[in-house]
Amino acid sequence: MRWRYVLYVVGILVLFLGLSMTLPLLVGLIYRDQSVYSLLWSIGITIGAGGGLALICRSEGTEHISQREGMAVVAFGWSAIGLFGALPFYIGGEFPSFTDAFFESVSGFTTTGSSVLTDIEAVSKGLLFWRSLIQWLGGMGIIVLSLAILPFLGVGGMQLYKAEVPSPVPDKLKPRIRDTAMILWKVYALFSATQVVLLMFGGMSLFDALCHAFTTMPTGGFSTQNASVAQFDSLYFDIIIIIFMLLAGINFSLHYQMLRGRPLTLWRDSECRFFLAGVLVLTVAVTADTWLWGIYESIWTALRYGSFQVISILTTTGYATYDYEQWPAMSQIILLLCMFLGASAGSTGGGMKCLRIMLCIKYCYKELFSLIHPHAVTHVKIGGKSVPEDVMRSVLGFLALYMLLFAACSVILAGMGVDFLTAFGAVAATIGNIGPGFGTVGPVENFAHIPATGKWLLIWCMLLGRLEIYTVIILLVPEFWRK
Amino acid sequence: MKIVIVGAGEVGFHIANRLAYENKEVVVIDRDPEALKRVSESIDVQVVQGSGGSPVALNEAGIKEAEILLAVTDSDETNLVACLMADTLSHNTKKLARIRDADYDPYHETFKDGPPHIDTIINPEIEVVKTIDRLMSVPGAIDVGEFADGKVKFVGVRLDEKSPLADIQLIDIPKQIGPDHRLLIAAVLRNEKMIIPRGDDRLHSGDVVYFISEEKDLASTLKLFNKPDMTIKNVLIVGGGRVGARLAALLEKRSIHTKIIEKSGERCKELADHLNSVVVLCGDGSDQQLLTEENIQNMDLVVTLTNDEETNILTSLLARRLGAKKVITKISKFSYFPLMLAIGMEQVVNTRLSAINSILQHVRRGKVISAISLKDEQAEVIEAVALETSEIVEKPLRKISFPKGALVAAILRKDHVIIPSGETVILPGDRIVIFARREAVARIEKILSVKLEYF
Repeated sequence: MRWRYVLYVVGILVLFLGLSMTLPLLVGLIYRDQSVYSLLWSIGITIGAGGGLALICRSEGTEHISQREGMAVVAFGWSAIGLFGALPFYIGGEFPSFTDAFFESVSGFTTTGSSVLTDIEAVSKGLLFWRSLIQWLGGMGIIVLSLAILPFLGVGGMQLYKAEVPSPVPDKLKPRIRDTAMILWKVYALFSATQVVLLMFGGMSLFDALCHAFTTMPTGGFSTQNASVAQFDSLYFDIIIIIFMLLAGINFSLHYQMLRGRPLTLWRDSECRFFLAGVLVLTVAVTADTWLWGIYESIWTALRYGSFQVISILTTTGYATYDYEQWPAMSQIILLLCMFLGASAGSTGGGMKCLRIMLCIKYCYKELFSLIHPHAVTHVKIGGKSVPEDVMRSVLGFLALYMLLFAACSVILAGMGVDFLTAFGAVAATIGNIGPGFGTVGPVENFAHIPATGKWLLIWCMLLGRLEIYTVIILLVPEFWRK
Repeated sequence: MKIVIVGAGEVGFHIANRLAYENKEVVVIDRDPEALKRVSESIDVQVVQGSGGSPVALNEAGIKEAEILLAVTDSDETNLVACLMADTLSHNTKKLARIRDADYDPYHETFKDGPPHIDTIINPEIEVVKTIDRLMSVPGAIDVGEFADGKVKFVGVRLDEKSPLADIQLIDIPKQIGPDHRLLIAAVLRNEKMIIPRGDDRLHSGDVVYFISEEKDLASTLKLFNKPDMTIKNVLIVGGGRVGARLAALLEKRSIHTKIIEKSGERCKELADHLNSVVVLCGDGSDQQLLTEENIQNMDLVVTLTNDEETNILTSLLARRLGAKKVITKISKFSYFPLMLAIGMEQVVNTRLSAINSILQHVRRGKVISAISLKDEQAEVIEAVALETSEIVEKPLRKISFPKGALVAAILRKDHVIIPSGETVILPGDRIVIFARREAVARIEKILSVKLEYF
C-alpha cells in the first residue's frame, strides 16, 4: 500500500473541491448575502489544504493502482470531501455545530438529502446553492468526474472507478475508462440542463430550477423550500420532477444507448423493466390504499401524491409533496420497503439496487427448482446471459451485509435514546441515501434533534450506502491494514 | 485509434498493455473469463467475452470502428477465422494475424490478396530464428536490433570490468576510443532500471549498455566492450521442434556444422528426412553423458529450444558448465527475464516477445519501418521515414522539441549512415532510427506521423 500516492490523489480531489466552491461564491455575490464571507474562507482553506497535501505527497504517476489502494483513495477521498465540503456551512455560523455542518455536507455528497435545518428558507442563497451543488457533484461520483476531466488518473482509473461505482456487473461504455466517465457525465449534465429549462418553463425562478435540477438528477432530495416540493403545489412541477427522478433511477449506460438512437434498449434491459414494473405496481398499491382509506377524495389526487412519493423514495431522492406519515400503515410499509429496494445499478440512486434484488429472487427460485429437480443444471440468467458464480456470491454477500449493518446501526441508534420507529427510519433512510425517514425524522421533520454521536453514526451510514458498503467497511477489517 | 485484439494470452496481454499505455482505445476479446479478468484488472481496456471468430463478439467489440485487428491467439485457426469474419464485417480494418504453422508459409501472399485480406502475417517462429541469428552474429550481445537493412545495429551488451569503458565518464569516451570512431550510447540498464545517460554519467561494470553502431564498425566497437569477435563453426541445438528445425535448416544453408538433439524418435526421423548435413541425435538434451559424448566443450554455441522452458534453462546451465562458449535459451514466461539475468543467462529469446515486436511495428502510425522493444519493455527503438510534412525535418536536431526520454540515434541518407549531433539536419526521405522510452513513444509517433493523413 503506497500511502503517499493515496494521499496525493486525495489531495488533488480536495483541491478540485475547493475550485468548485467558486460557483456558490458567484451566487452569493449576485445575491450579496452573508455566504460570501464563509465561502471565501472555505475556498482558501480547502485549496490550501488540498494543494498542500498533493504537493507534499507528490508522486510520479503510477501505472497500476491495486484494488486496495483504489478503495483507500475512494474511502478517504469521500471522507475528506465531506469534511471540507462542510466548511462553508460551519464557518459562517449558519449551522449550530460542526457535527451538523458535517452531517449536512455528507448528506449532500452522498445524495441522501437528510437535513438538520429547521428553517431552510432562512439560509443564505449561496449556501443553499452549495447544498444543491454538492449533491450534483456527488451524484454521478466525484471520482468519475475527476476521471473525466483530470488526465492524471488515467491508467489506474479502473480500480478507482470500481471502488466508487461498484455495480455488480460493471459495464464499460468505451475502451478507455476516461471516455466512459466523460460520457456518463455528459448524459448527466444534459438531463440536468433539460430539467432546468423545463422547470423554468413552468414558472420556477432560475435559482430554484437550478437547485432542484441539481438535486433531482443525482436523486439527492435537498430542496430550497421548508416544505420541499410541496411548497410549489403545482401539478406541472410534480410531473416534471417525477419524470426526471425516474430517469435518474435508470442505469445511465442505457440512457447513453438511448440517446445514440436506440430507444428500445430501455425496454430490452431486464433490470429496467423490473424497476419500471416495480414503480407501477407500488404506485397502484399506494394510490388504492390511500384512496380507499379516504385520505384523498379523488382517485387522481391519490395518484398524484402516491406516485410522487413512491418514485421519490424508490429512486432514493427523498422529496416530499405530502406527509406520508399521515397515510395508512400499508402505504407506509411499502415506502419503507422502497427504501431498501432502491434504484437501478449504474444509476445515481441508492438502496440495495433492483439488479441485486432481481438476482436474489432468481437465485431463490433456482434453489427451489433444484429441490424439485435435484439433477438439474441451471444458471441464474440476466438478459439471457448467465451470471457467474462469483458475482452471485458477492451479491448475496452484499445483501446480507446490508441487512446486518442496518440492524446493527438501528440498535446502536436506539441505544442513544432515539425511539423505536425513528431509529429504524433514520438508519434505513441514511444507509439507502433517501433522506427523510419515519418517526421524528419524517418528511416534515428533520434530523436536528438526533444526538451528536447518533449523527456521526448516520454520517457513516450515508457513506456506507453511497459507496455500496464494501469500500467503506473494508477499512474496519484488520487484514486491510496489514503489511 | 481503436484496436481490437483477439486473444488475451501473453502476446495479447502485453500488446494491450503497451497500446493502452500509449492512450489508444483497446478492446480485447477472449473466450476465457479468467484471462479477461487479468486483463481488465490491470489494464485500461474494454474486454469482450467470446470466441474471436464469432461475429457477435467482434461486433460487440466494435470492429466497424476499429482501425486495426490483431488476431494473436495461440490457435492459427481461430486467428484465421477472426480475420475472415472481420473482413466480412468491416472490410477497411487492417488485419494482422499470428500464424505459426509452417504449412501456411506458402499461402501468406494468398491470404493477403484473397478473402481474409490479412495485411500482415506474423510468424513468431520465423522472427525468433531471426533473433537467434542476430544474437549469433554479434558476440556478447544481449539484445540486437537491425535497422536500415542491417546497416545500423542496435546492440545491448553487459559491460565487464575489463572493458576500457568501465567506470569512465561518457564525455571522456571519445578520448578513449579515438577520434575516427563514433559510438552513441543510447541507454543503460542498471539494476533493472533504464537510464538515459548524460555526459557526466559513468558507466559501471555490470550495466547493460545499449549502443548504436554502423555494421562496419561493430567489431571494433565490441572490442571496446571486451567482446572479441568469434566465428561460430559448431552449433548444438537442443529441441527439434518447429523453431529448432527452422534454425537447423538455416545453419545448414550456411554450412555451419550443426547437431540437433531431439527426444522423440518419430520427430528425429522427420528431421533426418528433412535435413541433410545436420547430425540428428535422438536423446535427452539434459543428459550429461550424451552432451559430453557429443563434445559439448567444443561447441561455439548451444541453443536450447525445447517446448519446456525449465528444461531449456537447466540444459543451458549444464551446457555452459560443460564448456560451451555461448548459450542461447528460449523461454516463454516474461517473468523469467529478470531471473535469467540474475543467473547470468543473458542471451535469451522469446517467441512471444518476437511476435510483439513485429506486431508493434505494424501498429505504429506514420511511415514506421520497424520497431523493436527492449527485453523488459521499458523502451523501444523505432525506425521510420522522415516525412516532408513532419515536424522533424529541415531544422537542426537541437531545435526540435523532442519529448523527454527520446533521441535520434542514427540517420540513414541514401547509403550513408550518420550518427547525429545537435547540429545535424534531417532531410525529407531520410530514414531515422529513434530510441524512445515507453513514456515518450506516443509523442514520437505523433511527431513522425504529423499531417500525413491530411495530404
